[in-house]
Amino acid sequence: MSAGLDNLKHIVVLMMENRSFDHMLGGLTKQYPKINGLTGNESNPDANGNRVKVQPDAKFQGQLDHDPDHHFPGVDLQIFGGAPAGPGRVANMQGFIKSYATQGTSAKASQAIMYYFSPDQLPVLTRLATEYAVFNGWFSSIPGPTICNRAFAHYGTSFGNVDMNLFYIQDPIKSIYERMIQAGHTAKIYYYDQQSSTMEIVNLLKNQPQIFGSYSQFIADCNGNTLPDYCFIEPCYNDHPGPGGGQILASDQHPDHNVREGERFIANTYNAIRTNPQLWETTAMLVVYDEHGGIYDHVVPPACQSDGYSAPPDKTGTGAGFNFDRLGIRVPAILVSPYIPRGTVVPGPEDPNNGLVFEHACIPGTVTSFFLGNYDQRTIREKNSRDFLSPLTDTLRPDDDCWVFDV
Amino acid sequence: MEKKYKLVQKVPKTPKSAYNHGRFISTLLEHQLKHFNEVEKSLLKAGEKLTDVSKIKTELQASKYLKKMTARLHPQGAEEPQKAIQRRRARKAAKSKIKGRQAKRRRT
Repeated sequence: MSAGLDNLKHIVVLMMENRSFDHMLGGLTKQYPKINGLTGNESNPDANGNRVKVQPDAKFQGQLDHDPDHHFPGVDLQIFGGAPAGPGRVANMQGFIKSYATQGTSAKASQAIMYYFSPDQLPVLTRLATEYAVFNGWFSSIPGPTICNRAFAHYGTSFGNVDMNLFYIQDPIKSIYERMIQAGHTAKIYYYDQQSSTMEIVNLLKNQPQIFGSYSQFIADCNGNTLPDYCFIEPCYNDHPGPGGGQILASDQHPDHNVREGERFIANTYNAIRTNPQLWETTAMLVVYDEHGGIYDHVVPPACQSDGYSAPPDKTGTGAGFNFDRLGIRVPAILVSPYIPRGTVVPGPEDPNNGLVFEHACIPGTVTSFFLGNYDQRTIREKNSRDFLSPLTDTLRPDDDCWVFDV
Repeated sequence: MEKKYKLVQKVPKTPKSAYNHGRFISTLLEHQLKHFNEVEKSLLKAGEKLTDVSKIKTELQASKYLKKMTARLHPQGAEEPQKAIQRRRARKAAKSKIKGRQAKRRRT
């Protein structure tokens, strides 16, 4: 075990909303060729068959005001380019503009789905990705929307769900929080505030409110050295008035919320850990996105081990069932710790010999294995998932070698 | 930041114009409301009326409903963090006091 793992006491996961890897980090490839982003030649056909190339023209807000489709049939179109469900079809990532055009967007506006941010537009994500470890092969767990994907981060499965509908946890699988607490550890979900609340309502907030805290509590827990062993942070999901006449902006980066506010939220969360020396040396923080939000990524999602569930055709909406044997589209994922060497890139499917594939089941998988060791009451998929703490090494970087954000 | 750090990255401010609580809710928020509505249904007492969440159209309206429901399920979320810490410390101190007394009793 590395010194980084030996000293590790806290794992923090911050899950943002609806942006693909190429959209947020794809522009880094020119400067950092090991990062599997964009060459600039990737393209998709528009409704008339004209090739539309990726462009560094993404805007913080106002460009994706029609929320791009990221429900199961829409993502199926994006991945397979419109080939009907059935055996033998090939994933080609050629249906993104087609999919966005079905939402009533103009021919010009639908091209925005191919746009990406230049690294200087996203100073926080760029800094973290190039200073710590970026994963070339972290995929959403399901080619579908938020709720079922977030379920994988909490339970290692969505219990057969591929959509936004209610689901209920099924015995014997427990949430990562319940597992931790039952074993004498501490665990928490921090939602931003009561006006924004959580996305884990029916199973956790209703039945286990004690595992929740607000974001201001997270900050206080960092300052007071009372951070739990494991915690999961939810950003602010809506714009609403703040205390004393202030204005609270959504920080989740879900289109069409301002991406810059999400950057500030990530920076504040990082700073809360970074500026507490005791916490900084004993914490690993994962910044990850729940799914791609309908936005272009060039990497074909690989097949994966099924979690033992299946969704019938009437649930998927594609005319075919789904056995949870293919991952969703690739998302940004960055692991932060002073035990990670600058510029670490964890290879993904682009490296057939050393590439590793990660997805959200790795979150409860890694946390469970790290804190609890052998634990059987989970899906085979979670049990066999990759350990995302592997980039931690023996060497602690000097304090002067690690950045702080001025927010 | 009180301490001086060597490597500092400036993060630009979000423009005030980004704020729009009159924005129509996304499908994500729509489903968040529906899930809370299911919980509300299960908590209804005789004579209480279920909120019609289909009438909620904007982020401001959504935030008010979410606050109402979250406060019901997790009232601690409204607590000032400082107060929560003080309370936890007081509880810890009381616990160790009790443990100390029990140990003393066992010794005597």
